Amino acid sequence: MSITSYNGSALIAMVGKNCFAIASDRRLGVQFQTIATDFQRIFEIHETLYVGLSGLATDVQTMYQRLKFRHKLYNLREERNMRPETFASLVSAMLYEKRFGPYFCEPIIAGLNEDGTPFICTTDLIGAKQLSKDFVVSGTASESLYGACESMYKPDLEPEELFETISQALLSSVDRDCISGWGGIVHVVSADQVITRTLKGRMD
Amino acid sequence: MLDLRVLEPCSLQSSLAACADSQVLGTAPPTFKLPAVADLDGFQKAAVQMVKPAKGTTTLAFVFKHGVIVAADSRASMGNYISSQTVKKILEINRYLLGTMAGGAADCQFWQRNLGTRCRLHELANKRRISVAGASKLLANTLYSYRGMGLSMGTMIAGWDESGPGLYYVDSEGGRVEGKRFSVGSGSTYAYGVLDTGFRFDMTVDEAVELARRAIYHATFRDGASGGVASVYYVGPQGFKKMSGDDVGELHYKYYPVPEATVEAEMEDVTTS
Repeated sequence: MSITSYNGSALIAMVGKNCFAIASDRRLGVQFQTIATDFQRIFEIHETLYVGLSGLATDVQTMYQRLKFRHKLYNLREERNMRPETFASLVSAMLYEKRFGPYFCEPIIAGLNEDGTPFICTTDLIGAKQLSKDFVVSGTASESLYGACESMYKPDLEPEELFETISQALLSSVDRDCISGWGGIVHVVSADQVITRTLKGRMD
Repeated sequence: MLDLRVLEPCSLQSSLAACADSQVLGTAPPTFKLPAVADLDGFQKAAVQMVKPAKGTTTLAFVFKHGVIVAADSRASMGNYISSQTVKKILEINRYLLGTMAGGAADCQFWQRNLGTRCRLHELANKRRISVAGASKLLANTLYSYRGMGLSMGTMIAGWDESGPGLYYVDSEGGRVEGKRFSVGSGSTYAYGVLDTGFRFDMTVDEAVELARRAIYHATFRDGASGGVASVYYVGPQGFKKMSGDDVGELHYKYYPVPEATVEAEMEDVTTS
């Protein structure tokens, strides 16, 4: 089995009207065995910037810790939070540093620019950035996720509709993947609030 | 030119096959052409490898006071992809004999249907129903003669005959074991845990059905390659009966309901007058 499908994961980020949503599954497994159903894959960097990491679980945790560290230092020096594009470049650079011995994770970065417009991007495991206007996906169920998002996505959705769309896309995709699923978590972020909901999904 | 007659099933069946009526009667063993490749061994190895990951499943069966319970999940997986959530893994060989499917779906379906045919012929020839021991032996002998050719089956034959309930485990390596409790597949270890803890020989039929359902549910929760619907069958003196077929997604919330979030009462300001 490939190292990136050792633990299993599924992540989506979608752009809405002056908001974005980022969602992931909650399973932590060791190949086919499920170990936990409350594994955190989406992390807050600051109020309007979230990063989701798919792939090998240990690298998910280490990458988050290193990114949190770098952002805190940036904050101390610059006396402000990082902009999403800058953060995406930071992620890309940190991943390429390990070009010949990479972290086996594929991050999704989602944030709001200062003017309130949403920003999403994903990178591969060695830092190739891919910006997107509509949605980005990552994880072992990525092919299913692409199909689901492509058919369900509509531009300029309000936060509530965006939540419905991203949840349905996530649940229907992980139901076709043996090693991801077991529940879901969705964060819908607008300029003034963050709504976090857990999804009741199939636990098989 | 290689002499490949050694690969054909045993000689008694070959002589039966020689009889002109045997193809019509069905006593002749099915004849399979071998692939016309230069490297037969290599081809067979590749064929075995192709079917190998397919034992992603959970099936179980146990004998108790009132008969035999047989249960299974319904997921088919190809690597990490779920190809189906609605596979029938408990095959009805005849009214009082059930077989389970683990391994190659085609192998299980074909050979268990073949077994049903031969059991019926036994009834007609001997004017009495075949025993579970006899039926499982017929299957085991057939599988033994195809040993090494890449069949993949881990099946349990369960039924009721004149000597009471019977349960045998038969696999494609040619093994056949009698037993009182079996679980087969990638989720079997999880099912064993629940089954072994909750088992009592003198359970009622309903208690036994619930134990089997729970065991399959727990296996689908922990094992990624098991899921879908938990089917439970009961085999008693009157033959088999399908007792339940529950979607494990719904079973989870039935066994572990999500507690209602308590809304804290807000303190209201007391007006002073």
